[in-house]
Amino acid sequence: MRKNRKKWLAGVLASAMALTLLSGCGKSTDQSSKDKGKSEDTMTIAVTSFADTLEPTEQYFSWVVARYGIGETLVKFNEEGELVPCLAEKWNNSEDGCTWTFQIRENVKFSNGDDMTPELVKASIERTFEKSDRAVSFFEPASIETEGQNLIIKTKEPVAVLPGSLADPLFLIVDTNADDSKFAMEGPVCTGPYVVKSFAPTASCVVERNENYWDGEVPMKEVELKCVDDQTTRSMALQSGEVQIAYNLKTENLTDFENKEDYNIQTIQSLRSTYAFMNQNGPLADIALRRAVIMGLDRETYCNHLLEGGATPGKAPVPPTLDFGFDELKDENAYNPEGAKKLLEDAGYKDTDGDGYVEQKNGDKLELSFVIYTSREELNVYAQAAQASLKEIGILIELNVVSYETLLDMRDSGNFDLLIWNVLVANTGDPEKYIRENWYSTSSSNQMGYKNKKVDKLLDQLVKEFDEEKRKDLTIQIQQEIMDDAATVFFGYETTYLITSSKVSGAILYPIDYYWLTKDVKVSE
Amino acid sequence: MKCIKFIKNHKQFTMFSFFALVIVGIAVFAPWIVPKDPYDAVMTDSLVAPCSEYIWGTDKLGRDLFSRVIYGTRSSLIMVFTLVSVIFVVGTCLGVLAGFFGGILEQIIMRLADMMVSFPGLVLAIAIAGLLGPNMVNAVIAIAAVSWTKYARLARSLVLKIKNSLYIKAARLTGTKNWKIILRYILPNMITTMIITAATDIGGMMMELAGLSFLGFGAQPPTPEWGLMLNEGRTYISKAPWLMIYPGIAIVIVVIVFNMLGDSVRDLLDPRQERK
Repeated sequence: MRKNRKKWLAGVLASAMALTLLSGCGKSTDQSSKDKGKSEDTMTIAVTSFADTLEPTEQYFSWVVARYGIGETLVKFNEEGELVPCLAEKWNNSEDGCTWTFQIRENVKFSNGDDMTPELVKASIERTFEKSDRAVSFFEPASIETEGQNLIIKTKEPVAVLPGSLADPLFLIVDTNADDSKFAMEGPVCTGPYVVKSFAPTASCVVERNENYWDGEVPMKEVELKCVDDQTTRSMALQSGEVQIAYNLKTENLTDFENKEDYNIQTIQSLRSTYAFMNQNGPLADIALRRAVIMGLDRETYCNHLLEGGATPGKAPVPPTLDFGFDELKDENAYNPEGAKKLLEDAGYKDTDGDGYVEQKNGDKLELSFVIYTSREELNVYAQAAQASLKEIGILIELNVVSYETLLDMRDSGNFDLLIWNVLVANTGDPEKYIRENWYSTSSSNQMGYKNKKVDKLLDQLVKEFDEEKRKDLTIQIQQEIMDDAATVFFGYETTYLITSSKVSGAILYPIDYYWLTKDVKVSE
Repeated sequence: MKCIKFIKNHKQFTMFSFFALVIVGIAVFAPWIVPKDPYDAVMTDSLVAPCSEYIWGTDKLGRDLFSRVIYGTRSSLIMVFTLVSVIFVVGTCLGVLAGFFGGILEQIIMRLADMMVSFPGLVLAIAIAGLLGPNMVNAVIAIAAVSWTKYARLARSLVLKIKNSLYIKAARLTGTKNWKIILRYILPNMITTMIITAATDIGGMMMELAGLSFLGFGAQPPTPEWGLMLNEGRTYISKAPWLMIYPGIAIVIVVIVFNMLGDSVRDLLDPRQERK
């Protein structure tokens, strides 16, 4: 009996301790959120981890530099996706289409106080070409020259979307006179409204006001961009007031914010496409197997039921939000599990060991590794749904969940069978460069071994084509080729949400999402 | 008669071994209990709330949660029993060897154990599981690698105590071989303590395995495993709380049952704590 009483006492004490712990917890968070709310010139934004370094020429890390309000490009996109002046005031094209002249804005200073001269702009663009192997997929300059306040870019062949290409954050202007070995960890010297104060990869990036900013007063003294990869945590951070803006929240988070005065929700039918590369240097070299994989995936159900309408079902590289013939394209590989099974059987894939999964033609086990990353929750849904659907037709999928940074390395080393990718389609205001980057046979990003001479030829034609109608026509042909080759699984085109605290003003969800923290974003009561 | 008397005297033990048997039964007979295939994804029924067709609702992919929780018993029990047997056997053997033979062997084994102890357990397990690649077998290996030391140290200290007893000296004097001394005189005298430790460890080990799975280092989708299910349900916590509630309850019940069973086994076997 005595022992029992002791046990009871222990239990009571333990629960009392737990309670005090909880109440202590509550108090401290209240306190901190109040403190944050008080100072009006600081703000915290919850983002997903996206970059190991801030060196703009590495991978896609320049996007981060642009999104965090650090770097700016010569031209930029407005809310309608149209090109508007930024560091260049105006631009024009010569008659033969090979010479582009950009008039560089005067009185722009880098964050270190140096003047941004056309010579430095030239040096910055040259630096990008020198350091990034992605740059040439946009255009190849024959020469870059300066003349007074003008920057003249000449190409051997006409390049129709050159200004749009320069709006890609890859070409953001950095001060090449600064010590660029420090860019990676201390942030590049650019012209944006904010400069990096501290940067901890995959944890947080603190930026502060750029005192030398050229375009008016910068409202916030300091902004912290905090990496919160977990979607639930990100949503809760916004609810508790720990952050004022949360990026990348999804349909399932809306219930927490809808119809509440404290939050603003912006929605956009996005220009993003989610797809999976299929590595043709492995078992997926066989087109029959690739077609079976695509046909086995019920993308309609994934988007409408699993993502609750948070995405439009995919079939082609370019989403229906852009007018590039989505409805005209003929999809040979629409969802058809029976057809997929038959295709597998005809091609000689049989389940010889009776485990419910087919073996390769030579009798080896067929096990496809599907690499996904963590910071976008819907990728996990697609991948698990794909795993379940492909099980139905007898294809074994092994999921490999890694961080975004690891995924980049895995893609570059070709270490995958299927690899998820989520990317902005109209990164230059037009899908040409996106298609070229991913499906051109010699593109550095095409690590899946996809080669189609016709696609290459059409893409080369597209570069030189200025006529809108003909561009559209070529783009449709290219898409049809890619679809007929069953080169890639197109899952869907997701809807993007931006949820902000109603205290925040000026935060706009751009269709071409290079701009998160701008000079207009501020906290006001 | 004897049996009834035993039950009367050890109510707690009887009760919890009954519960434990029920849990093991659920695991063994899972295919006959579940109403639906736990892997069968009916995607049009995504996140259906508990209703007559799906008594515990469905998960994101439209799989029946009840069936998945029931099947989860299998993976959890298999993993935890493998884990406890492995560390029990490995830890005890190494501890006995170290304690009995001493010298360089003891130095090697015990310094290795000290090294393992000097890291926080779960963190080291995460590191090992991360290195080996995430799956259930590697999760068991990872936790075994950090947990065997407890058994080795305990076994060694018990052996050291027993080694100097008179009956061991007598056995030596009469020329009994080493292995016979270990098997005949040492092991029987320490095995109860070891078993008690193992029994009380089951609950904790189950939590650690579920924890690893929750963090993504253990079971991989689409395996029905409670820790993994908790992690999958986390995203939808405000919308579909049943995704976390039922696997959570399952973990709590099973861990409590095995903890209490471990306690009663201790009460039963350890003469010093016997209640008069």
